[in-house]
Amino acid sequence: MAAMTSRERVLRLFAREPIDTMPCFSGQGMVTVPAIETLGIRFPQVHLTAENMAASAMRSMEMFDFDSAVVPYDMCTIPEAFGLEVSIYENVEDILFPTIPKKWGTPEEVQIPSDYLQRGRMPLVSQAITLLKERIGRTHAIGTWILGPFTLAGQLVELDVLMKMSIKARAKVEALLDKLVDLIIDLGRHYREIGADYVNLREMGTGADILSPRMFKILIQPRLRKIFESWNSPRILHICGSTDLIIELMNDCGAEAISVDHKNTLSESRSKIGSEVILLGDYDGFTLPGQASFEEIEQAIKRCIESGVDAVWPGCDIWPEVRSDNLKVINSSIKKLGNSPTPAVGRF
Amino acid sequence: MSKEELREELLKTLSDSVVNFEEEKVGETAQRVLDEGLDAYDAVMNGLAAGMEIVGELYDKHEYFVPELLMCADALYAGLDILRPHIKMEDQDQRLKGQVVMGTVQGDVHDIGKNLIKMMFEVAGFTVHDLGRDVPLEKFAEEQMRTDSDIVALSAMMTTTMMGMKKVVEMIKAKNPNVAIMLGGAPVTKDVTELFGADGYAESAGNAVQEAIKMISRLREIQK
Repeated sequence: MAAMTSRERVLRLFAREPIDTMPCFSGQGMVTVPAIETLGIRFPQVHLTAENMAASAMRSMEMFDFDSAVVPYDMCTIPEAFGLEVSIYENVEDILFPTIPKKWGTPEEVQIPSDYLQRGRMPLVSQAITLLKERIGRTHAIGTWILGPFTLAGQLVELDVLMKMSIKARAKVEALLDKLVDLIIDLGRHYREIGADYVNLREMGTGADILSPRMFKILIQPRLRKIFESWNSPRILHICGSTDLIIELMNDCGAEAISVDHKNTLSESRSKIGSEVILLGDYDGFTLPGQASFEEIEQAIKRCIESGVDAVWPGCDIWPEVRSDNLKVINSSIKKLGNSPTPAVGRF
Repeated sequence: MSKEELREELLKTLSDSVVNFEEEKVGETAQRVLDEGLDAYDAVMNGLAAGMEIVGELYDKHEYFVPELLMCADALYAGLDILRPHIKMEDQDQRLKGQVVMGTVQGDVHDIGKNLIKMMFEVAGFTVHDLGRDVPLEKFAEEQMRTDSDIVALSAMMTTTMMGMKKVVEMIKAKNPNVAIMLGGAPVTKDVTELFGADGYAESAGNAVQEAIKMISRLREIQK
């Protein structure tokens, strides 16, 4: 067989078909400062044009030998399209991701415009995916992500209000979540249609350090199921933080792949969910690329693989200020150590 | 019913009502404490704070989660708002007299953990200088200097926002190495705390409350 392209490697992994070695990729942001610097732009600018977004994703991918490029980078594109103001921190020298300074006070106030894809920076994200498809789509996978309904709701409504209402006025929260589910289904399909090879659903506000497993089962799981029933494969569910208590519930949402961060006990999770589902995780996207020694990196990658992941990927966005050598060692270690079959995916 | 029996009953009602997040009942009971001429400070420490101690245990046992903590916090504040103005001067002398500066660092607008820990500091008697959220980094050092606070508590919910805390720690420690700096938030670990040069950490809102509860429990022990 001819050498496998990066895109084939990623797509075959999600299809649980044999691959040559483990892909190096992510379902979260992995834009890096070293890549941005070669483009002659500053971090806030990567969020502001389709060209900057696509070019920075592509350059990060090329510099560090990733198998995919991922856009967008911030969690404010949808709230902005709904009409909320966004802080981009254009004049700040430090790496600051965009935020929503003022959210709605209650779930009832949230209005979802029917033309949300044409508002705010949503067209930029679509254009960036299209540009990536044109430039690297034959050889590399194109990844994107969408916040899950509860996490997205927390970007629209003050999180403490949302959480308290989840107990004392649940119907109002559910009404908002249901509207967001429909939007997420629509947006995921749109991203796939314009060229994304995979969409990661990031429902990180629902880990067991925040919501009870009972509330996850009642409030979150049925909605995640509806989304995954409506999307085509590959379907990925990512939740970070404490997921040991809900890993089986996560596995029962209809996704082929589950992604967790370093607070998950990987080996236990693997034994709980069996070997059919693709498990992704869980290196620390701050410490490993930015602080760790090469020896620590190799140990961490080895631990992930021995604990039963099918692909080693970061449990959160990679912190952009990486040490270039660290990130290169991370990805070369994954390729080197990932050449044996994993629980859900074989090797040639 | 003797006055001591009445005291015990009202303290238990306050504690239970905090645990069961019965905001209205906490308010009514706090008012009754005052109407019956009972001690407001006693009611705060051995009613409201005692209830929050149980809440912390329930969080630890995975019976309560953040939404429940928030509901309990609302209930506690319903009592604290009524009782606090009536704490006697001599009791205020017994209370912890520290000052704390707190806020979420620039780039982060999530303040649940910060608000929960603020509540516990207030219960313990600290003067809290709350800078809010998305706070420019230099503001923490300025406020610490201005107020001569003993503690600075910083919060960041995500990896993408926690790096600012490192700079704040450096700014404050450069000027005053004796200030105790607490970090809080999901991405914060022991390693990060050491790397940033801070003095303590809590990785979630619940852990932050637990840490604060330990502090208050020690205070309650001392006073017994």
